[in-house]
Order: sequence, then structure tokens, then C-alpha cells
Amino acid sequence: MNFDILIPLLAATVLSGTPVLYATLGEIITEKSGVLNLGVEGVMMLGAFSAFFVAAATGSPWLAFVVAGVVGMLVVSLHGVVCLWFQGNQVVSGLALTLLGSGLANYLGTPYVGTKAPGFSAVALPGLSRIPALGEIFFNHDPLVYLSYLLPPILWFFFHRTGIGLGLRAVGENPAAARAAGLNVQRLRWLGILAGGFFMGLGGACLSLAYTHLWTSSLSGGRGWIAVALVIFAFWRPGRAVFGAWLFGGVMALQLRLQASGAHVSSSLLLMLPYALTVIVLVFSSARRKSNAAPAALGVNVEPGE
Amino acid sequence: MSEALIRLEGISKSFGRVRANSNVSLEIVGGRVLALLGENGAGKSTLMSILAGQLRPDSGTVSARGRVLQLTSPEEAIAAGIGMVYQHFKLVEAMTVAENVFLGHRQMLINRRRIEAEVKALASQFGMSVKPSAVIRDLSMGERQQVEILKLLYRRSEVLIFDEPTAVLTPAEAENLFATMRLMLAQGKGIVFISHKLEEVMSVADDIAILRRGEIVDTVPVIEVSSTAELAERMVGRKVLLEVEKKPVEIRQQVLSLHGLGCGERGDGVSFELRQGEILGIVGVAGNGQKELVETVCGLCKPHSGTVRIFGREWGEFFRTAADDPDNTLAWIAEDRQGLATCPSLDLLDNFLLTTRRSFSGGPGKLFLFREEARKRAEYLLKTFDVRPPDLSAAAWQLSGGNLQKMVLAREFYRKPRLIVAEQPTQGLDISAMEEVWKLLLKAREAAGILLVTGDLAEALTLSDRIGVMFDGRLLACFPVEDTVSLAAVPQMMAGICKKSATV
Repeated sequence: MNFDILIPLLAATVLSGTPVLYATLGEIITEKSGVLNLGVEGVMMLGAFSAFFVAAATGSPWLAFVVAGVVGMLVVSLHGVVCLWFQGNQVVSGLALTLLGSGLANYLGTPYVGTKAPGFSAVALPGLSRIPALGEIFFNHDPLVYLSYLLPPILWFFFHRTGIGLGLRAVGENPAAARAAGLNVQRLRWLGILAGGFFMGLGGACLSLAYTHLWTSSLSGGRGWIAVALVIFAFWRPGRAVFGAWLFGGVMALQLRLQASGAHVSSSLLLMLPYALTVIVLVFSSARRKSNAAPAALGVNVEPGE
Repeated sequence: MSEALIRLEGISKSFGRVRANSNVSLEIVGGRVLALLGENGAGKSTLMSILAGQLRPDSGTVSARGRVLQLTSPEEAIAAGIGMVYQHFKLVEAMTVAENVFLGHRQMLINRRRIEAEVKALASQFGMSVKPSAVIRDLSMGERQQVEILKLLYRRSEVLIFDEPTAVLTPAEAENLFATMRLMLAQGKGIVFISHKLEEVMSVADDIAILRRGEIVDTVPVIEVSSTAELAERMVGRKVLLEVEKKPVEIRQQVLSLHGLGCGERGDGVSFELRQGEILGIVGVAGNGQKELVETVCGLCKPHSGTVRIFGREWGEFFRTAADDPDNTLAWIAEDRQGLATCPSLDLLDNFLLTTRRSFSGGPGKLFLFREEARKRAEYLLKTFDVRPPDLSAAAWQLSGGNLQKMVLAREFYRKPRLIVAEQPTQGLDISAMEEVWKLLLKAREAAGILLVTGDLAEALTLSDRIGVMFDGRLLACFPVEDTVSLAAVPQMMAGICKKSATV
């Protein structure tokens, strides 16, 4: 394969991995606080639609981007009410959120199917984009991609070098210990859920504002579920999430190219490739790791006064 | 006497109809150890949870140096200088020592190196050895406890509450803890020490407060107490036979024999024989292979080296045929009473049937369960074993530890076992329940051989005919209980100091 094909392919890898990366980082924050949120797909869909809607109405992609994050927070607050106030089952609540979010976004979006909205376009970073090969792959994208480069180190710093981050991890590992240390478990879990929802909403916005610029039915196409799987692949580490998201993005970009090149393979099979491969990689990477990296109290509800 | 750091006045707390504390008043004085003594369910934990801000009292006040405190959350208790070393450690296992110590601080940014240096300085100041960068899950119980203490010292707690702190420690680790406590006292901190172990209370405490049914019945300086027996008497309000009567029993045929059984990673294995009519007490600090020994003998895991013969039959053969052989029954009194011995949310009848179901089954292929028959039998047993409440529809978790244990014993003895494995049979029980369980075990040995695995040396000495000491997966020694020379060396052997080879 020569560089004329490889470099655009790698650039497309980063581009199509970015929405999944936002969502994966969101789910990592939520799960670190001990809450399992399987509603990522639904939150992404509503984030994608609200971003599209706001961009079409106002013409401001940045406003649309922020609104998508806020909508994400509003949607996941339902999960918070069910799991934190009423001690409901986290799995059931998350699944309900996926069904609700996807259904609502598709329903509201019906009149807009196939229409376009203003979004982000690629901005070459001065200087950095001149680096041979790397410049084209990493530094000739839309601003949302650049923002996603900053997030993993920021999150790492948050988890390991701030008092709140330490507290958030503690309620996900051992809520009783956190409470005995004087931390407010419920409040920290709210933080985990809401911050997570914010990033999931942003992930959705990446899809409609940067990746496609147009609205289609089921725009997310299961990326929310990929994000849930990538959290496990990443061992709950923001840095590793980048590789997972780009792996998925790479196969996604590759299969699109194969489809376009007119390969004699069913397009349904090609479409399946990124999902199948992600799951296979997940299985192998999890099997190799013996010690469990999951937060010890993941999915365990905590009574408010307990 | 200096001024009290913390004063509790008229504290009362009820859970539904149960009065956990009524009108409790106490003073915690700087530089002194106040021991809180009481049977299980006497209200010690409730009282201390109130102090630690985990529970709110129905009435009464807690004041610090004359200022009344509103302790509505652990945070406020910590701010008031009250800290608790919980019996079940409250540590985040996946985090480092320093991170656990820092947890809960209102500081925005964490300077890892500075905190680790602070923790290290604090540890060495109080004679502790734990490394600040170590991850909790790699630490021993003693080291984890040090982390709990460091958490409190780091927050400059003035009053430290220790809830049964020596339960998980080796004798050497306990000595270390006491040394640390003395250093804290020298700094004017006040200590509350909760323990079941009377000798320990006598040696550590300056004052002793005795709780009975939620009330303080006695507060005495330790110098006015003459003996542990007197203390025990004050505690339960009547004379307790800490010495139970042990009748000699005829030793009959062999029921269990181990040869070179591997228990744990190292060691040449465990070998001994057990005969009907005797109790073999295996002592040692938890985690030295006792768990593996018990699980192998009880059929939970295969012997990974050596041989085990039960009633003369090879291990695998015995467990294949055990169900069809009511004359050779093995009974297991598991340490985990609410997990292995019973199902907490099932009622007592279902729990009774867990191991006795075969005697109440009939019809083709023993398909049907005769519940009515079982109910009659179980009701009778609950009465004879004095299980309270004698109500078969109560769920197992509703019973106190002692009553649940008596129910388990009633169930297991109903099967007429010839080999009994009793694992920590009186752990967490109060003195009167302990005495009852001891008497029942001594009676059972008339028909069975009993393998008693316990961390409580006094229990082993009271019950056993022979004593075995386990350390690091090996049986260091095995001798008759009358052998006073070997007995004197048991504490050293438990710490692995005396490497005496096994004499069976």
C-alpha cells in the first residue's frame, strides 16, 4: 500500500474514531464513580439530534456543540434519579435510556432526514500540519478532533491529581470507605453521571456536526455500545481509550473505502467489520489481563444515609 | 485527672422496638485508654457509630471541651477530631496508602510526593512501618490497620476509637499496635478501645466502662479490677463458667487421617489422625493454611498434594458416596455463618433442610420433600437447643450470631455426624452463647471426632484433647493439651518463631 492511500486512510481513522472517543471517555467517568450507564447509545443519539437542530436553527456549530453536552446531562439525569434517588437497577435503567434516546431522536428527526446543517470543517493547525505524514494524519481536522486530543491527559490529571477525582474513584471502588472518610457518595456519583452524560452528548454532536454534517435515521449506528465495550478494553484508563476508539475508527474508515472501491463483498458484511473486530479485540485483551481493573463497586447501589 | 476531650451525656438510641443505647454517659480523657466492654449486642457498636457520625442519637448530647457537637455525618465527627478504626477496614483496595490517607480532604490538587513524604514522616513518628506508595491490596491485615490509623493521625484526630483492633493481628502485630497507642497517648490523645479479650483490656486500658443491654453498668479504673474473672463477672452480671467441664471420653476408631496434605503454597504438608471421641484443636493466625485444610476436608476443593482419608475411605471415594451413607456423616460448622452455613434470607425451616433434606425426602427417587415432618422435627430441635426466637418462619439474618450458631449446631447434630469440622465456632459470640456452644461441642465429641479450627487459643485449650499449631501451610507441632512445655511455646509458634517439626 502506498502513502497516497495510507495517509488519508489514517486521517479518516482519527476522524471517525473521535465521536466514539468522546462517548468512551464519558462512560469511563461514569463507571469510575461506580455507576454503570448502558444508555450511551441513546444519549449520543439525542446529543447528535439536538446539535443538528441547534446548528440548523442558529447556524452556530459551537453553540450546537455545547447544547448537545447539556442535553446529554439532562438525559442522564434520568439515570441519576432512578439509580441514586430510587436505588433502581442500573442495567435496566440504562437500557431504557438507550431505547428512549434512540426512539426520541429518530422520531423528532424524521422531518430532517437527509437535510444538512452547518457544522465544523477541517482547520489545518499552523506549523504542526506541515509535518510530513503526521501533519496530514493528526493536524488537519476539525476543532472537535483537536479538543479530543486534550481530553485524555486532562482526565488522567483529574482522576489522579485532584481531590475530587480521587473522591470520585473512591466512591466507585469502596463507597463505605469514602463515606467514612467524610465524602458525600451521592454527590460524587451525580458528578460521575452528569459529567459522563456531558461527554456522551458531545460524542453525539461530533457525529452530526463534524463526521456527517447531515441528519439520517439511527445516525449513531451502535457507536454507543462500542463505547461501552471500549471502556472494558481500555481498562478504565482514558489513555488506552484513545487506541480503542481509533481501532474502531480505522476499521470503519477501511470498510468505507473497500465499499467505495467496489470490492466484491456484501456491503452488509463490510459494515459489520468494525463492530465484529472491536468485540474480538475486546475478548482477547480482557482474557490476557488477569487482575480485574473494573471499579470494585461498579453497578452497586448505595443507600443515601448508609 | 485532666479535662475530658469528649463527653457523652444521656445518649439514647432505639432501632424500632430495640433499645440499643439508653441514657449512656461517658468521658473520654486525653492520655488515657478507655476500654468499652460488653457482650455482643450490648450496644458498643451503636454507641461508637454515634460518636463517629454514622448514626444519630434519639436523645442526648456529645460535647467536646464544653462545646456541644452536632454529629450528623462522618465528616463532622472527623472535623471534631473524632476518628474510628473500624473492625472491617474502610479502605479502597485499588489505591495506594497515601491516596487512602488523603481521601476526603478538601484540597483541590494533589501533590503526590509531598503527601507521601508526610505520610512517611507520620508513620515513623508513631512507630509504623507501612510504605506510603504501596497499594492496599498487597498489604497484610496489620499494615492495613496502620493505614486506618494514619488516616486519623493525618487529620489530627484527638480521639481515636479502636473497634476490636487485635482480632486480625498476630501477637507481634498487636504488640506493635499497643506501642503505637502509647505514643499517641503521650501526645495527649484519647483512646477508646473496644474488645472481647479480657486479658488485653486489662493490660491496655486505664479505665473500663462496661455496657450491658445498652446501659453503662460500671465504670472502673483498671487498677481496681483484680482479675479477668472479676471483669467477666461484671460484664455479664453473673458468674460465668469460663472453665467448662470436660468429661473424659473413650477414644474409638479413626475418622480422619491426613498425610502430607498441601495447605497453601509452601510447606511439606499437614499430617495427623483424628479419632472418634477426641477434639483436635488447630490454632494459628488466620491465613496460614487453615482455610485450605478445612475446605479440603469438607470436600470444597481437591487435595492438591498428599492424601486424605475420611472414615477410612479415600477422599474422592468418600465424597462420591457420602450422600448415600447416613452412618458415616461429616458435618461442617462453617466460619461464614451467613453465607456458607446458612442462606441469610431463607427462613429457618429452609435453612434446616439445607443439609438434612435427605432424611425428609421420599417417593420415587426421593423426589418429594416432607416439609411437615421436617417442621415438627425442627421445632423440637429449636426448643431443645434454645434458639431464640423459636420461630421457623424467621429469616436467618434476623437471628443474632449466637442463636444462628445454635441453629446450625442443632441442624448438623441432627444428622448424627461422626466427624465434625468446627471452624471458629464461637467467633463474634458473647460469653453466654460461647459457653453453650462449647458445651454442645464437648457433648458431641462422645459420638464424633472433632476438628476444631480456631484463632482463639483459650477456646482451643478449653475444648481440645490435642492441639496443633499451623503456620505457613505447615503443622508446626501437634501435642496433647496436658503437655505444658509445648503449650507455653504456642504463641511463638503462631508467629512462626519456633520451627519445631511435627510430631503426630
